[in-house]
Amino acid sequence: MAEIGRERWTTRVHFLFADIGSAIGLGNVWRFPYMAYEYGGGAFLIPWIIGLIVMGIPWLMMEFGMGHKFQKSAPGVFQGVGKRWEWVGWWPVFMAFLIVAYYAVVMAWSIRYAIASITMAWGKGAAGATGAGDFYYGTVLKLSEGAGQLGGIVWPNLIILAAIWIILYLIMHKGAGVIGKVAIWTVSIPWVLLVVILIRGLTLPGAVEGLNYYLTPDFKELGNPEMWFAAFSQIAFTLSLGMAGMFAYGSFIAKKADITNNALITSFSNCATSFFAGFAVFSIVGFIMQSLSIPIGEVSASGLGLTFVSFPVGISMMPTGAPIIGILLFLTLFFLGIDSAFFLAHGGVISPIKDKFGTKGSRATLIVCILGFVVGILFTTQGGLYWLDIIDRATAFYGLLITGAIATLVVGWKFKAKNLREHLNATSDIKVGRWWDWLLKIIVPAGLLFVAIYGGFMKDLPSPYGGYPVWAASMIWVVLFVTLVLSFVFQGIKTKTPEEKEEE
Amino acid sequence: MLTTGAIVTTIIGWCIFIGVLALLFTRIGKGGKWED
Repeated sequence: MAEIGRERWTTRVHFLFADIGSAIGLGNVWRFPYMAYEYGGGAFLIPWIIGLIVMGIPWLMMEFGMGHKFQKSAPGVFQGVGKRWEWVGWWPVFMAFLIVAYYAVVMAWSIRYAIASITMAWGKGAAGATGAGDFYYGTVLKLSEGAGQLGGIVWPNLIILAAIWIILYLIMHKGAGVIGKVAIWTVSIPWVLLVVILIRGLTLPGAVEGLNYYLTPDFKELGNPEMWFAAFSQIAFTLSLGMAGMFAYGSFIAKKADITNNALITSFSNCATSFFAGFAVFSIVGFIMQSLSIPIGEVSASGLGLTFVSFPVGISMMPTGAPIIGILLFLTLFFLGIDSAFFLAHGGVISPIKDKFGTKGSRATLIVCILGFVVGILFTTQGGLYWLDIIDRATAFYGLLITGAIATLVVGWKFKAKNLREHLNATSDIKVGRWWDWLLKIIVPAGLLFVAIYGGFMKDLPSPYGGYPVWAASMIWVVLFVTLVLSFVFQGIKTKTPEEKEEE
Repeated sequence: MLTTGAIVTTIIGWCIFIGVLALLFTRIGKGGKWED
């Protein structure tokens, strides 16, 4: 039975856009293209698409399907599997909360850069090429000496952060109906802007050389285990799974509606966007290489370095239209981030709180937005970048992988993958076979744990993550432990019955 | 000039994504409004 009064996507289009928007984020621009360049160019598509099919899509179908089956967000889903498993649903809720707290700060930086693009505040021409790094670390972040030195709050970032949380509140407080409508715009606009940026990028000198680095296949890399690791890790992070939200998004789907085809459309749309973004990114990277006469190894082509240093360098060197391209580029990043942010906040945190405590939607949204803003203040301090990096490692890396592996194991073996498959096939456009059971029971959790162990524990246990002091890097384990304990605490709190919620 | 490999990757990549998405959209059974 669908719970009376449960919020719903109004149409399939709204759901698809909201879901595609949640999957597409900054990682599509700052992570995938670099991975492809680093590991075999065009040949990277082979392990990447294999990873999508054997790991990403079954995992996404599981999160949608379980939310749809139980008509609950993540904690309610696992409470439905068995009362002692509810913590499995709460753990990623805490991850989603911490992720959105710093994600909103990165969006605030994007807005600051969009404004700075009007006057090219980091410098024009050659001055911009040398000044971009100083502008980011010195002016925008006022970066301190280390994680132990928080310094003061950087007020412009805090003010923009407050504005972003107000926008998020206004979008989210009326639930999935409004989110679906807004998502049509927040997904379409960055697609259009990426096309404009690509056209400008392709007309720049050196763009072709950049694209050759991105696309030329090196099939010898297929024998390199690192390439397979990179491809599977990229898939693990690209679909916004392991962050609780997809369970809630699945629960907002009407009872007699499709799951599997929506999961496939979401997955392939997300990956097509990554592939497309790579053309825009590497045309600009090629332009930077040619303009500054430097090899590609000297251009930051991934992460925050790409976004807030290399892009401004490229923009400052553009012969015409530089401010406009700067504004469009950073607005693109903002729009890429915003639907991931309301996915994390609404699907990941607000919906579980409503389900558990019977809190009204607007009140739950207000509480989460205020708390998210308060926690985000940490990342607007002068030492905020260090803590953003450390919390990101704890939540969006370890948290996502570990909670995702546990969730798929519990669903695959305890709830039984066969039961979920039968539910999926009962309403979906495309039926899945028995092979899906084994992907969910073995391949998905094994893939996630492989990435966590090989890419995480084996590096971070022998020496502190990121070269931080031991006490600072240890916060990764503290965050994981404290959120795990809190998950059990929340499991111990009585869930309000529908009747009690009605009385509220 | 783009290398032959880069051109082939571009063509194959887009054929895969556009082809698969087109196929998936033809399999959509229930569109429009969603009601319980």
